Amino acid sequence: MSSQENSCSNDLGLSLGMLSLRIWLGLRAIQTGLEKFAGIKKIEYVPVEIDGAPNVYELTRSIEVKAYGLSYYKGVPAALEDKFKAEPLIPDFFLAIYDKILGPSLLLLGITILLGIATRISLFAMGLVYTSLTIGLILIKQDAGVAWLGIHIIMVAMALVLAKHDKFAILNKW
Amino acid sequence: MNFDLPSLSRREFLSKSTLGAGLVLGAPSILKAKEAGAPADDIRVGFIGCGKQHEVLFNAMVNIPGIRYVAAADIMKDRLGRTFGAIKSRFDTNIKRYYDAEEMLEKEELDAVFVATPDFWHAPHTIMALEAGCHVYCEKMMSDTLEGARSMVAAMDRTGKLCQIGHQRRSNPRYLFTLEELIKKNKICGQIININGQWNRALSSSQDIAAKPDILPKADVLRKYGFNTGADHELSLEELRHRFLNWRFYKSLSGGPISDLGAHQIDIFNWYLGVQPTSLMASGGRSYFKDREHFDNVMCVFDYDTPEGNVRAFYQVLTTTSSGGGYYESFMGTEGTINISEREAFTKIYKESGTTDAVSDQWDKLVARGVLKKVAAGQAAGGADAIASYESAPPDEYSLPGGLSKQPHTNHIENFIASIRGKATLNCDARHALESEAPIYWVNPAAESKETIIFTDEHLHT
Repeated sequence: MSSQENSCSNDLGLSLGMLSLRIWLGLRAIQTGLEKFAGIKKIEYVPVEIDGAPNVYELTRSIEVKAYGLSYYKGVPAALEDKFKAEPLIPDFFLAIYDKILGPSLLLLGITILLGIATRISLFAMGLVYTSLTIGLILIKQDAGVAWLGIHIIMVAMALVLAKHDKFAILNKW
Repeated sequence: MNFDLPSLSRREFLSKSTLGAGLVLGAPSILKAKEAGAPADDIRVGFIGCGKQHEVLFNAMVNIPGIRYVAAADIMKDRLGRTFGAIKSRFDTNIKRYYDAEEMLEKEELDAVFVATPDFWHAPHTIMALEAGCHVYCEKMMSDTLEGARSMVAAMDRTGKLCQIGHQRRSNPRYLFTLEELIKKNKICGQIININGQWNRALSSSQDIAAKPDILPKADVLRKYGFNTGADHELSLEELRHRFLNWRFYKSLSGGPISDLGAHQIDIFNWYLGVQPTSLMASGGRSYFKDREHFDNVMCVFDYDTPEGNVRAFYQVLTTTSSGGGYYESFMGTEGTINISEREAFTKIYKESGTTDAVSDQWDKLVARGVLKKVAAGQAAGGADAIASYESAPPDEYSLPGGLSKQPHTNHIENFIASIRGKATLNCDARHALESEAPIYWVNPAAESKETIIFTDEHLHT
């Protein structure tokens, strides 16, 4: 095997490695962003069964289904938001803005990374988003979450290193 | 729309109608209406009183079929307009609007009337409507006075018309299931020894109600309709309007927090136990709202003799705090406790720790059948300050197997409408309501006198 063939083979591996990272990071961000638009919707009340038959008192139980919509949007989960509000280093106005932009940002960056649109800039922006999340989790002492986000940052950095091998992209300029 | 006001005052009305004949028990209490025509016929409905509670009732009945909205009466133009608009937008129907209830009853052909006026007008309006040939759904408390409530029962008997009182929990499937299945049939509480009920309302929810002066009735209207009743001086327009908006604060217009909030829950004590109390101790204070005529916090203890034994029931209504678990009625027995509330969130059921194997087996079987749902096994709180010898093991937690798919008042109104059609019997006719409400009228006097009241028939008869 010639050195040129070896080089081509390595380039393909690096390109596929980059694509794998883009797919993982892109879908991860898209799904996370989508989940921020998810909520529980009650769709039906059905009679409670006692001894295998509908009860005579009209006691009902509701069937709930997961639904997506703008009305369900919550960028920062309520449980975490209360803790962040208690942190003096996180101003309320900043938290309010962050709550509004986090979901759309994840969706937008997920799409651009998945499709390969301005991959480097998108990856860097995603790194900043994950870093901002990390800072919040450090403040409220969620060490497992910090470690989890640390892995994301490593993957973003690996993707940036491999960006020159990003061959399956729509816009490779930036 | 007619803006003329009648010359009949509340006091005159009472003296001319049933108070003078309060002891006349002509016809027996007819709990099932005569047939009101074919079942498909619409029930023609009118409203007396178009304030907040009317809105609650209307919103609870909009999905009940077979109702035709005909007319509404209120002394406040703005409220009438809101009711007209709500019915117009929902049903594309133009109802007739009246400033005076008596005129509405004279001019309109109504099958049923919903009374949601201030407490001191409940008896006059209810009697007026019954005597006009209408079935009546009247909000609780039946009246501001025991005599007024008794006159409503007499009018119901005399006219043979239906009179449902708005103790809506009596038609609530969760309350009915709890009474019939859990307490009576399966006796999961064992012997009920104690009852504990409360309605704790935050200070922020207990403030004076205000409104833009230009939408409120004029002084002569408010005087004509008795909002100056009990005043020891000529009231200014501002004072009259305060009484109009905040009638719950005045002794001559209402029974105060114990009847506004407590009546619903003490009714459950009496309904579930199936007996009236034998005695009452009470204490109350104007501890925060010092200028109000009624107590802002009341605590009372009723004693009951039931076939299973003696029961003591504690009730408190507080208007200065919402802490302490909201509002519920707790039936505490030797084997289990049921905290029942109109709010599902406040409803919890506990099996006593250390019960016999037979009791545990019974609860397990009830879970298997779907009568109960197990929520969690009891877990000791633990901690360095726990002293084992002081504490009982925590009880296991259960819940009702289901909830309510409608608004809390809907079932009660459905029961009223079905009773008019002859397809049901009232769940809370005026007589049964008064049997339950009568002891409540004595809480404020007991708290004022700081003396125990031993109930006799004189106190509690209907």
